[in-house]
Amino acid sequence: MKQNVYTVAQINAYIKNMFTQDYMLRFVLVKGEVSNCKYHSSGHIYFTLKDAKGVIACVMFAGSRTGLSFRLEEGQMVVVGGTIDVYERDGKYQLYARQITLDGAGLLYEKFDRLKHELEEMGMFAPEYKQPIPKYIKTLGVVTAPTGAAVRDIINIATRRNPYVQIILYPAVVQGDQAVASIVNGIRALEQIGVDVMIVGRGGGSIEDLWAFNEEAVAQAVFDSPIPIISAVGHETDTTIIDFVADLRAPTPSAAAELAVYDFWQLMDRLTVYRTTLNHAIQVQVGRYANRLENLRLKVKYLSPANQIQQKRTYCMDLEGKLNRTISDALTRKKHEMALCAEKLKGLSPLEKLSQGYAYVEDTNHRVINDVNRVKEDELIQIYIKNGTIQARVSKIEEVWYGEGVDTGTDI
Amino acid sequence: MAKELTLEQIFEKLEGTIGKLEQEDIPLEESFKLYKEGMKLVKSCNDRIDKVEKEVLKLNENGELDEF
Repeated sequence: MKQNVYTVAQINAYIKNMFTQDYMLRFVLVKGEVSNCKYHSSGHIYFTLKDAKGVIACVMFAGSRTGLSFRLEEGQMVVVGGTIDVYERDGKYQLYARQITLDGAGLLYEKFDRLKHELEEMGMFAPEYKQPIPKYIKTLGVVTAPTGAAVRDIINIATRRNPYVQIILYPAVVQGDQAVASIVNGIRALEQIGVDVMIVGRGGGSIEDLWAFNEEAVAQAVFDSPIPIISAVGHETDTTIIDFVADLRAPTPSAAAELAVYDFWQLMDRLTVYRTTLNHAIQVQVGRYANRLENLRLKVKYLSPANQIQQKRTYCMDLEGKLNRTISDALTRKKHEMALCAEKLKGLSPLEKLSQGYAYVEDTNHRVINDVNRVKEDELIQIYIKNGTIQARVSKIEEVWYGEGVDTGTDI
Repeated sequence: MAKELTLEQIFEKLEGTIGKLEQEDIPLEESFKLYKEGMKLVKSCNDRIDKVEKEVLKLNENGELDEF
């Protein structure tokens, strides 16, 4: 028996026909996660739906885009409704999408976005409505579940920072059907009591768990509250509607407690600093005046008559000293001069000359003989020497030239 | 609620007082006045700060406060 041989086109056409014949495949709803999503310039959207066990190629033609009300993105959980058909050229079947909706959590995201947009339009997130969080509070209201990590964290951190702040807890139901009413009541009740600041929130959870904080009624209650509210829902990465409406958003309940309650010990330090600064400043001022006073005192002292007299007295003593010094200097100088004169005089003394072997000669008439022409031979002369006189007779006279300077004998 | 100054407002006043006190060439009488004023502000801060330890309170269904 001979088997038939088909072309690829034939077999693909055959398979395509099988798909088209199948009633169910004409419209199916398939749930999965979006991946490989491409918006083509032609307006068609190509993507893959996948789950843990497999993938299926999908396309949404531009003409079917009315079936998609949001922007398709990677990772979204969606339900795609459409026909499954074969693309003969590739020998591949794919899902021709006509409508795509977000699935489960996805729907919630969509709802979240819608409400967020709506409230934003209404101006509920506007910064001008934000109330400042008072820094030094006495009472802290907390709207959260009475059990669980969130309330414990808030109480621990608040009391650690400041054990003197009064915490008032409104034990709220934070998830499930009653959550919205419970949270709204909590906010209103604490408004009634009149706390300084309120923390509204809960610990982490899935988007469904946190959903109450995305409800309009809760957002409205937060917005309407005359008391500043810090939102503290879930973890840092969780964002809920009330985070936008609240006066301040804390990433976690712990952080909310830090933001709401001031550190008591830091405040004490601050007061100490103020006290020290004041003391220092007044000391500086007093010191400044004391200095000025001291300066003036010195000035007055300098200008006083007693000081003037003392000054004059000192001046007088100075002058006296100067005078004494001058006169004594002059005296010494004159003494020296006198000593010099005495020496000079000594040089000129005739007795001195005699003692050095010179003689003084005179004639009988007691006239000095200092010229050979003054005596004649046989004349008597008197010779004076150191220790007596000699009478002598002139035996011979002879004139002699001794050379220059002999007349300058008076010079020493 | 009586509209008395908040701690933060008192601190602002204190900073102002200290600033003035630290200025040069203010009269001595003025500086004594400022000092006295500053110390009074510090004291009023101190008095304002509640130092009584608190128990956490819980609001019950009847709107009354119980210990938590």
